[in-house]
Amino acid sequence: MRIALKQIRFSGLLLLWLIALAIFAVWAPAFFSLANFTSILQFSTLLALVTLGQTFVILTGGGGIDLSVGGIVSLSGLFIAFLIKQGTPALAAGIAGVLFGGILGSINGLIITRLRLLPLIVTLGTYYAYNGLALALTGGAPISGLPTSFGIVGQNAVLSIPLHTLLLVLPIFLVMMFILAQTPLGRWIYAIGGNEKAARLVGLPVNTIRLGVYGLSGILAALAGLVADSWLLSARPNIGDNLELLSLTATLLGGTSIFGGSGGLAGSLIAVLFFTSLQVGLQMLNVNNIWQLGLVGLFLIGSVLLDRIIRTAGTK
Amino acid sequence: MNRKQWLLGRREVTLALACVAASVLFQFLSPYFLTGPNLITILRNSVELLLVSLGISFILATAGIDIAVGGALGICAIFVGWSVQGGWPLAAVLLIGPLIGTALGLVSAALIVWGKIPPIIATLGLFGVYRAAIFLLLGGSWISGLPDTLGPAVNTSIGGVPVVGVYVLLCYLVGWLIIRWLPLGPAILATGGNERAARLSGVPIGKTKFFVYGFTGLLVGFAAVLYVARYRNVETSTGGLVALDAIVASVLGGASVLGGKANLLGTMFGVLLVRLLQNGFVLMGAPSLWEQVITGFLLLVVLILDALAGNRRVNGSRLVTMP
Repeated sequence: MRIALKQIRFSGLLLLWLIALAIFAVWAPAFFSLANFTSILQFSTLLALVTLGQTFVILTGGGGIDLSVGGIVSLSGLFIAFLIKQGTPALAAGIAGVLFGGILGSINGLIITRLRLLPLIVTLGTYYAYNGLALALTGGAPISGLPTSFGIVGQNAVLSIPLHTLLLVLPIFLVMMFILAQTPLGRWIYAIGGNEKAARLVGLPVNTIRLGVYGLSGILAALAGLVADSWLLSARPNIGDNLELLSLTATLLGGTSIFGGSGGLAGSLIAVLFFTSLQVGLQMLNVNNIWQLGLVGLFLIGSVLLDRIIRTAGTK
Repeated sequence: MNRKQWLLGRREVTLALACVAASVLFQFLSPYFLTGPNLITILRNSVELLLVSLGISFILATAGIDIAVGGALGICAIFVGWSVQGGWPLAAVLLIGPLIGTALGLVSAALIVWGKIPPIIATLGLFGVYRAAIFLLLGGSWISGLPDTLGPAVNTSIGGVPVVGVYVLLCYLVGWLIIRWLPLGPAILATGGNERAARLSGVPIGKTKFFVYGFTGLLVGFAAVLYVARYRNVETSTGGLVALDAIVASVLGGASVLGGKANLLGTMFGVLLVRLLQNGFVLMGAPSLWEQVITGFLLLVVLILDALAGNRRVNGSRLVTMP
């Protein structure tokens, strides 16, 4: 029964994507070109990385949610650009930036696990703190003029597939898939999300794992910041805007339960591709990007409603 | 709301002391801080937030949350702006804001009660929808240079007290009456305290939630009227950060995100402290961009202090999953 429900959900998402593609095929025939395929992947990387982290956070349950991801993307992007401007070698700056993101994420995790506070309200606080810091420290102006050599990962493509898709998104996705499906850690994540009390009683290191998923979410957000820097050769203080809403929606639309314990990464990734197709397609149709935000909001509500309806139908 | 809980209202005393301490500190750093005009500025800047926070306190008391109030305020302000532009009579202008606000609040409630969507998800989704709607309604430009239609109803004073202050106090009085004297009050607190137990004891959970979100919408609509009366323009960013500010003020005031608590006087002082700090930092020369950082850190600090003070429930149920 469970698998059947999942499939309904999964094919619903695919159907939605296909409908969007069909609409674009009619209204913007140029949508189906190799160049556009590349640009969809190019645009999807930031959201994909953040969404992979978000999915782990939500799967782990306990009201798990990370609203601060957008702020971490912006702030670590700025941090990396700042270091490079100071003359730090690109590789060192990148590593430092990713560690920095991990620290920002771990701050969420520490407050949540040590003080037993609700993730929602904690990450709402850090959402404003991180986003605000990114804006306030720069006065809203980007740090630009990064050396062109820094753009290798962000701007190049092999066989029409952007380098960062090949080097970051795919490997990370596969490793996380492997962890989730094939290792004890993956089973534990589902177990904690499914029944936290039971997980604690059988002795699973619940707090450590929870701290870990928030740290990981921070690291992935920082990688997104790194890709953005490398792509645009500048760090914008608002580059992460709305990524929390988008990643949350992608995760839920992809079939992960908001209560944790069920779902997975493949659905999240398809949802990301769906959103990005929507974004790129709307751009080609000259429709303002704010529409994407509105539509995503509707999809978020719609997907949870649908989930409810399917679930109630399933229990009857 | 028994006697013991009532005494716990000492929270507002702490907050009042914090306000005084912060004022002294800022006065030390900027001689302009404790002047009449600046204090009036702080109070004036608090008005809309006071109204929204009152509603948010009610929502938090039911263990709900509303991220979309900022967007709702923006949409209400647009309609108020249009009605002023269209030369509507004063009464109609005064009504349209609260009317639209209530309608939007009921939309949130319908999603949460009938759709059984967790409040955070429903209102986060609405937040995106409202943002897009504001952009669409405004077409990317501002409504500005509005005539002073609302002036007589808003910018006057009765016996030296600005009438806006009277409105706010009346709203809080109504809120207090509801919590303290109407059956609705215990219903709200019970819904937030333990929803299942409340449902089993016959509390009309759905109706209660419809009320709190509708009531908040009403207040948000009224706040939009006051906003338009004050600034006489509406822009795409109208209402932007009000949701967080309101949550921070309510939590500062003693509300719990887990529900079951309401301290309206605390909320009032919470709003004043938030606005006072923001004002003080700007006076000290920090760009207004820092407002967001200050509020975020304030929320975190209060949460952490609260948790360290042992204000937690047994058995780690603080970490309960969302309803």
